[in-house]
Order: sequence, then structure tokens, then C-alpha cells
Amino acid sequence: MASAAESPSSVRKVIVQLRATADAPILKQNKFKIPGTDKFAKVIDFLRRQLHRETVFVYINSAFSPNPDELVIDLFNNFGVDGKLLVNYACSMAWG
Amino acid sequence: MDASSWDGTLSLNEFSLAARSFAEKWKISNSASPPWLWVNAPKLPFVASQQVDGFLSMENICLLRPSEENDAAASRLEEEGPGFSKKEDAIDDATLVHSNHHEVHYYDFHIVYSASYRVPVLYFRGYDSEGLPLQLNEIEKDLPACSAKVLLESKWTFITQEEHPYLNRPWYKLHPCGTSEWMKLLFLDEAALAENRVAIELYLVSWFSVVGQVIGLRVPIEMVNGRIN
Repeated sequence: MASAAESPSSVRKVIVQLRATADAPILKQNKFKIPGTDKFAKVIDFLRRQLHRETVFVYINSAFSPNPDELVIDLFNNFGVDGKLLVNYACSMAWG
Repeated sequence: MDASSWDGTLSLNEFSLAARSFAEKWKISNSASPPWLWVNAPKLPFVASQQVDGFLSMENICLLRPSEENDAAASRLEEEGPGFSKKEDAIDDATLVHSNHHEVHYYDFHIVYSASYRVPVLYFRGYDSEGLPLQLNEIEKDLPACSAKVLLESKWTFITQEEHPYLNRPWYKLHPCGTSEWMKLLFLDEAALAENRVAIELYLVSWFSVVGQVIGLRVPIEMVNGRIN
């Protein structure tokens, strides 16, 4: 978890790519850059706003749904592929 | 297991395997936390004993709840009723957020296999420092802001109180009817489909990465990224 501290002078940006699964609509903007120091909650909030849904089911590869408090850079360092962090989303209610 | 026909559920035997694997990984990557322990089901007379029957248990957990948004959510939920906290008349509730935020609450968590849904189910109960059980409106205040929101929206399908299948006492549980659907989503990524294999021993790690968020418990990244086996 020391990754975020390696380059303190410049905040590293992470490319997040969004992928719709199941019933979820595909977004016009499916790729964006986000500071690695941001929490994953930012990505979740973005999806909520874009999809106009209170709850969105968000997960990444390795069958993992990251905690909103996780730092984007940590997720990228562990699960990033081809220079991107792939984030899957679905609208189905997890607890319905 | 064949990935293309997998329906997101697991058998009791698979649950027992996945539970032990989960507990092992948790211990390695979460050494500061109390361990998950496997509890064998009480043996019934005249019934052949099944070693795989049992549940995972983690008890006496003090949930760390702070963070600004949590406080906002908590104060929003404050209206839901005083519970049995003593109200002091001298305090003007209209201007002061009257709360028992600093009171310590403890939680017991059990991961129990549901034979009807064929998925793991989280059972839990909370109690205060004197051992008195917490009601749902008090538990809500200990949950992360996002779950409190979901709780408000789907009151009956989210957390319900039911009899604990092994202890026969009322515990709260997270409703499992969506579980197999989202587990299928989580598990059937390209890699699994390419290999046509479902890594059933990792089922509980993935499952808890979702369920843990509801109660504010985190699955460390190391448990998932394959650095520990």
C-alpha cells in the first residue's frame, strides 16, 4: 500500500474504463481520468449520477467489489490491466 | 466447475470449503482483526454427523463508524425514535444533534449457509457495553452512510430479523434473494469464462467484498489479488 506515497510531487492520474454488464445502459462517456489519490467512492458517485440510480452494483475483475474507501491508485496497482482500471457496473439491486 | 452453466450458488460442501479458505486468507491479511472461526453445527441425536455442517463466526467486533458523511446519515436517522436511550429534558434537541455516537457497540457476525437459496447469508446482532441487544434503528446508525440509504429505501428486503438457524434466537440477517444473481455477475468475468472454471474456493472472499460494505467491514486487497494462496 506504499504505492500512493512513491511520487508525492505529482499526483498520478488513473484511467478508469467503465463497462456495462447485465441490464445496465452503456454510458456515452465510458472512460475518464481520475487522480489516484481519490477514493473509489468518486467512481461510484459518478456512476450513480450518470445512471440516475441510488444504488449501482460496481465491481472490478478478480471478482471483487472494492470498498468505497479504497484509493483508486491502490486498485489500479493491483488490478489495472493495459494501463487502465476496468470497472464493471450493473443496475440490478443487490438486496432486492 | 463449469462456468457457462453456473447459477451463482454453491452446495453445503462447497460452502464449507470456501468458508475455511476465506477464514485462512482473512487471518493472513487481516492479522489485526479477530479471526473468523468455523463452528460445527450441534450434533443431533440419531442423525449421521455431517462434518461439513456449520458456520463461520466472528464475535465481539467494535465497529469503527466515524467519517463526516456517516455523521450526517446518523443525524438524519436520529429522528427514528429514541430507542431506550435516556432523553435529557435539559437539552434542546432542535439545535443540538443529540446522539450516543461515542457509546461503544459490539457486534457478532455469523456467515451461515442457506439451504433454500444455496448461498451464504450474513447473520448479525449488536449489543451495547452492558450486553443489552441493539434494535435495528440503533444498528442503522452504526452502518456506513450508503447502507443506511439502502436500508431506508428497501426496508423489508434488506435487513430482517429472523431466527438464527443454529442458535434458534432472533438475529438480524441480510436478505439473500439477490445473492446468486450478483455472485454470477462478479464471478463470471472473461477470465473465468475463458478458463471455463469457477474458483469456488474464492466464493466467500468475493461475496464478503460486497456484503462487508453493508456493515463497514473491508476485504483487504491482498486477499483478492492472488498474493496469498
